[in-house]
Amino acid sequence: MKLLTLSEVTKSFGGVTAVGGLSFAVRQGLVTGLMGPNGAGKTTVINLITGLLHPDSGSIRLVESELGVAAPHVIAQLGLARTYQNVRLISGMTALEQVMAGSFLKRETSLIASFLHLPAARRRMRALEERARHLLSRVGMADRADVLAETLSYGEQRRIEIARALGAEPRLLLLDEPTAGMNAAESHAIGELIHRLRDEGLTVLMVEHNMKLVADFCEHVVVMNFGRLITEGTPAACIDDPDVQEAYFGKARDADRLGALR
Amino acid sequence: MLQRIADFWAAYASTLSYGMVNAFFALATYATLSAGILSFAAVTFGAAGGFLGAQLVLHSGLPMVAIFVLSGCAGLAMALVIAVVFLRLSSHWMALASLALVLITRVFVLNAPVLTGGVNGLSIPQRLPMGWLAVALGIVVIGFYTLHHSWYGIAARAVREDPSVAACMGIDARRIQFIAFGVSGIVGGLGGIMLALYLQFVSPDTFFIGVAFTMIAGTVLGGSHHWFGPVLGAAVFTALPTIMQAIVPDIQDIANGVALLLIMIFLPRGLIDPRAIRLRRVAR
Repeated sequence: MKLLTLSEVTKSFGGVTAVGGLSFAVRQGLVTGLMGPNGAGKTTVINLITGLLHPDSGSIRLVESELGVAAPHVIAQLGLARTYQNVRLISGMTALEQVMAGSFLKRETSLIASFLHLPAARRRMRALEERARHLLSRVGMADRADVLAETLSYGEQRRIEIARALGAEPRLLLLDEPTAGMNAAESHAIGELIHRLRDEGLTVLMVEHNMKLVADFCEHVVVMNFGRLITEGTPAACIDDPDVQEAYFGKARDADRLGALR
Repeated sequence: MLQRIADFWAAYASTLSYGMVNAFFALATYATLSAGILSFAAVTFGAAGGFLGAQLVLHSGLPMVAIFVLSGCAGLAMALVIAVVFLRLSSHWMALASLALVLITRVFVLNAPVLTGGVNGLSIPQRLPMGWLAVALGIVVIGFYTLHHSWYGIAARAVREDPSVAACMGIDARRIQFIAFGVSGIVGGLGGIMLALYLQFVSPDTFFIGVAFTMIAGTVLGGSHHWFGPVLGAAVFTALPTIMQAIVPDIQDIANGVALLLIMIFLPRGLIDPRAIRLRRVAR
């Protein structure tokens, strides 16, 4: 089943077309990779899906709901959560509080009940706190729960951001370069975490530069360049595609010529 | 010794009362600031509560508690109307619009003598017992404490630090900020009647730039990241001139300014900064 469908999505900034007539789908229960060289428009796609930007034309559907010009908080309620390319944790909050904030949609408590700290509201808050601790332990940050998140290392912050996104129990998780700035071992650990989440039924769309990670952990890959789709398919097929190699490494002809000059 | 304490009390009880009155306004400013809105509109909420409360004290014969509640409601009603308009603006324009609102409030108060006494203002024969003031402030502070630990508090902190991240977590920033204005309205309205009873007089100049400056300065000085900040800030900001006059009467104004500058240079996030406290805990 297609969980997310983009059809003919276009977004321009002034005269620059960041995304031009892009169509692809994210199937339920798979890890889909979104690849492309710098400036290909990957982050713009993520921002369009989450509603931070609205497409000039085309449609984005989450199962049956047309996202159109819906506000980000409405789209989040439909079951979408994300992380950011350059980690965006909330200043002044501990790791646990970050995940609690991410659990906002699961509060099941009215404003008045929450304000008066009624017994039911307190019970729910405690249950979510326990769940938040559990989520932190899932990303390997159990012992960091009560530490101010901004004092942690970059890799740890990325993990907390994933736990925060999981707090909303999303149907679709968007990861914007989850392993940027990580070494091979750390990247691999993130990849394994993503696989465990997928095995529990989560669908993941992951923007990624790291070809090895894409090859090892994605089931389906979409490659874009200059805001357009180049190809999609299995990771191996995509990485072997001459158009993809050209987008990433330049033209083979140019490489030969450079070799001759040297 | 006992005599000394009595003298001290006689001399400074009024300053303490005034500090508590200012704490209401600082907390009303903090209410919106903690949801990411810099607004001076609490002055207008104060005017709504102050003039309504003053009229009720003069003409209704209602018990004091009922007058407090009605003044808070007047501030709330004013705040919700203003929030509907203001929340269409982006942040820095909202700050400017709220300053304009303070100016408009004064003109309105001057030109509605039936409601406000106009240029002559209203004199209130009753005095405000300090106990009442302390109890009312205590209740408001407990309110802020519970808000801080509620889902609203969590959402407000997220909206303040990063509105677009908050939105992607499913938090409707406009709704949170609307509630923030409501809280600011209640507390501002209460501050209005407290100020009216403290001064025993309200006029167009009671709710004007002076109050706006005091409440912003108190909040920034005390720290705008925790409810205790504005309370402490208002107390320090109110007491500082009195203390400086007692210690260095010759250069009182200069000493005042220097003390404020020192606090702002060395504690830019205010006297109470939960983040700094947590950082220190990490370092240990």
